[in-house]
Amino acid sequence: MDIQFVRLEEKLPPREYKSDLEPTWCPGCGDFGVVTALTRAFSEEKLDPSALSLVSGIGCSSRLPLWMNAFGLHSCHGRAVPAAVGVRLAKPEIPTIVTAGDGDLFSIGMEHFPHAARKNFNMVVISMDNRMYALTKNQVSPTSRKGYKGSLTPYGNIDEPFNVLAFSIASGATFVAQTYAGNPKHMTEIIEKAIEHPGFAFVNILSPCPTYNKIDTFKYYKGRLIDINNELGHDPSDKEKANYYAEHALDADNPDAENLEPFHGKVPIGVFYQTRKETFEEKVAKLKEQYKPENPDTVWDEILNKYKP
Amino acid sequence: MAFDLTIKYAGEGGEGVISSGDFTMRAAANLGYDVVTFKSFPAEIKGGYALSQVRISDEKILSQGDGFDILVAFNGEAYEVNKPLLRKGNVLIWDGPEGGDFEPEIEELEEKGVILYAVPMSKLAKEEVGAYITKNVIAMASVFTLFDFPIEVLKEEIVKKFSRKGEDVVNLNFKAIEVAQKYIKENIKKIDPYKLPGPKPKKDVIIVEGNEAIALGAAAAGVKVFAAYPITPATTVGNYLAPIILKTGGYVYQAEDEISSMAIVVGASFAGVKAMTATSGPGVSLMQELIGLASMTETPAVIVDVQRGGPSTGMPTKHDQADLFAAALGGHGDDQRVVIAPTNVEENFHLTIEAFNLAERYQLPVLFLTDASLSLRAEAIPTPNIKEIQSKLIERPTLKKGEVNPEDIQNIYRYQITEDGLSPFLAPGESPKPYTATGLEHGENSYPRTTPKERTEMMDKRFRKIQNIEDENPHLIEWDLGDLQEGEKADIAIITWGLTASIAKEAIQRLRKKGIKVAALYPKLVYPVPKKAIEKVASMADIVLVPEANYMGHLAKFIRMFTDVPPSKIVQFNIYRGEPFIPKEIEEKVEELLGKQVQA
Repeated sequence: MDIQFVRLEEKLPPREYKSDLEPTWCPGCGDFGVVTALTRAFSEEKLDPSALSLVSGIGCSSRLPLWMNAFGLHSCHGRAVPAAVGVRLAKPEIPTIVTAGDGDLFSIGMEHFPHAARKNFNMVVISMDNRMYALTKNQVSPTSRKGYKGSLTPYGNIDEPFNVLAFSIASGATFVAQTYAGNPKHMTEIIEKAIEHPGFAFVNILSPCPTYNKIDTFKYYKGRLIDINNELGHDPSDKEKANYYAEHALDADNPDAENLEPFHGKVPIGVFYQTRKETFEEKVAKLKEQYKPENPDTVWDEILNKYKP
Repeated sequence: MAFDLTIKYAGEGGEGVISSGDFTMRAAANLGYDVVTFKSFPAEIKGGYALSQVRISDEKILSQGDGFDILVAFNGEAYEVNKPLLRKGNVLIWDGPEGGDFEPEIEELEEKGVILYAVPMSKLAKEEVGAYITKNVIAMASVFTLFDFPIEVLKEEIVKKFSRKGEDVVNLNFKAIEVAQKYIKENIKKIDPYKLPGPKPKKDVIIVEGNEAIALGAAAAGVKVFAAYPITPATTVGNYLAPIILKTGGYVYQAEDEISSMAIVVGASFAGVKAMTATSGPGVSLMQELIGLASMTETPAVIVDVQRGGPSTGMPTKHDQADLFAAALGGHGDDQRVVIAPTNVEENFHLTIEAFNLAERYQLPVLFLTDASLSLRAEAIPTPNIKEIQSKLIERPTLKKGEVNPEDIQNIYRYQITEDGLSPFLAPGESPKPYTATGLEHGENSYPRTTPKERTEMMDKRFRKIQNIEDENPHLIEWDLGDLQEGEKADIAIITWGLTASIAKEAIQRLRKKGIKVAALYPKLVYPVPKKAIEKVASMADIVLVPEANYMGHLAKFIRMFTDVPPSKIVQFNIYRGEPFIPKEIEEKVEELLGKQVQA
């Protein structure tokens, strides 16, 4: 059951995917880079702005659909994934990209992510991960590092950060990648791959918040990234290795990181895992085909006859 | 005199009490009679007290009635619960004289005028048939034999239900029927007057339960996405819809929770298709934020709330009408919603379609309030004409590619300010102009806006959509004036909603026969409150009685809040015991109120 996305015949220039609104983000926000990468990827993929949906929750990064020329749904806090599931169920031919933040996806919206992943909905879920809550002025998020000082935890975060990459693989996502807002080329490539992947594609984008997060900054990431595909030769179809790399993705937070295998203090980017499984949409299309009425004109007679005394 | 007979099967849940009622109801409907059932069972899977009551008449039945004529007691608990309800002329069929777990106070009951027939259902099933599970078939066959229901009709129903399970199962049930017939013939001397008069002309009807009617209505209305999370007593809406919707091109999606269900509904409807969910009170509480999103983004959505006893987990299988406040006013901020409520099973079907029409027309969430009793109530309703229904469906005004000149597109906005507040709808894949729907306050083009002027204009626009909703939907307000003319003086006015309305109707018919002038109004549109109709009917009498199955008097309070009916006229009448009203209670309440008034 092949479900094709609506695509244009000719490429549109990337700027055609921008709306007239200028982002209200702070200068230097990592999310600007995400907008750039998305517009380039959409252009490369020949997506049609009038047949493309961007779904988000609430937070700084979740405003993204407003800055774009595409059908957007800026929903409620935490509900980007199920709102996107609604679009998938309604119109599987419309490419669906969730653009949300780490708090939105992995704190308030946590119950939705693993279900959409294990069901393998054909959608891209992008987390713009600044490792804290910015719109509410600096609180710890599920991905904040230990010791991070938020307004509600002024003594420093006493919790361990949540490993979203390992979690995504465990949830059944069929494409799991990490990229960096400071590397538009890598980001664009990864987003393109995610769009082309038939199934649930999770892309974690390390996207620094220059206003509040003075630790996970562009400066911090500079020279600290390692491309697991190009530099370490990782094959994303190797699930065992993918799990191993994902498990160590947060090692750089550790004071002894230099000595730790396999990244030696570096932060990994690249495609961790990819596999092809039947998508939810394909399975539903099969069911619909299987139960399709032989004669649509008499389908209601058949239905109602069952209720006759 | 019309034929009107009520049979009540009662016993332990899981013993076939409920299916006994279903078989009897189907057989009676098959013979051309009108039927209405009332069922109640505990929240547990097995055990606990269960009852299934069937009312059969050759005239249109309005409610489940006041009580029963024939009681079939499967066990001691069923007997104890119903003993105080046994009246002169009632028949009690009980599991005895041996083999059962109880013995009724035979002398005491006979003195009262109750007719007793002992049928050893358990013993016959065990010893004569050799299968205890046929106890309910023995009970049913006894009822059929005693009251002249054609036994062939029961056999037909058994074949229909059990032929899938093989010939052995069918034969076992047939054997139980024969055993029961033989026992009755040899041991029971019929002394009661109850007798089914014989078959009536067959009507073109379908037999459906409340939740089945909702599922059929939704499919007929063209629902494409139904997302729900299991919750009693709403789960069966999805159960019934799941196989049907695949044939009509949609899908029933079991979500991870109710929040997800509602988000999916908003997402699907945003994408341009009809979407709905079905839940109960706790689910509505969880959905409130997203219902607000549907209001703010002007996204059509249908939310079925099969009310149950609350608050919190409350009484999941019991009747209650206490979600009206939450349905209408449960959101934060000033949101726009419509709440409608059916009064019987037939309306469950037609008003589900109406819920979609309202949602599409006004581009907002429509809450559909039914309840646990109505969800299980079965009725024989006229077979709907789906083609005709579908030709009259209201669809949202989606702007389609090619329908408008490219140069005009820039002047079309998703939230265009218009005289009636209604704006064009834009959908991905269909419309030429993308936009981002947002829960933020926004301008006509959907860009976030917070200036006092734009905020005020947009709030006004959204509320303007429903300011004339009462006038635009007179079919959602049912008047019941009897022989009175509109505006004529009545002894009492009655305003009620939901299942209570169908019960009040029967009480009102009886009151009218006694010469009492009743002006009644049954709003199916409960919110926004139909002010004009309520004021009009209230002006006809000095007392306005509002019976409702809730403690706080939700509709009565709404009448105080939203209409100019003098509060001193309004008399609340509330029950909150987990069961629906019976007509007699309303009848007696009216007599009491009028009696007092005469004395004063």
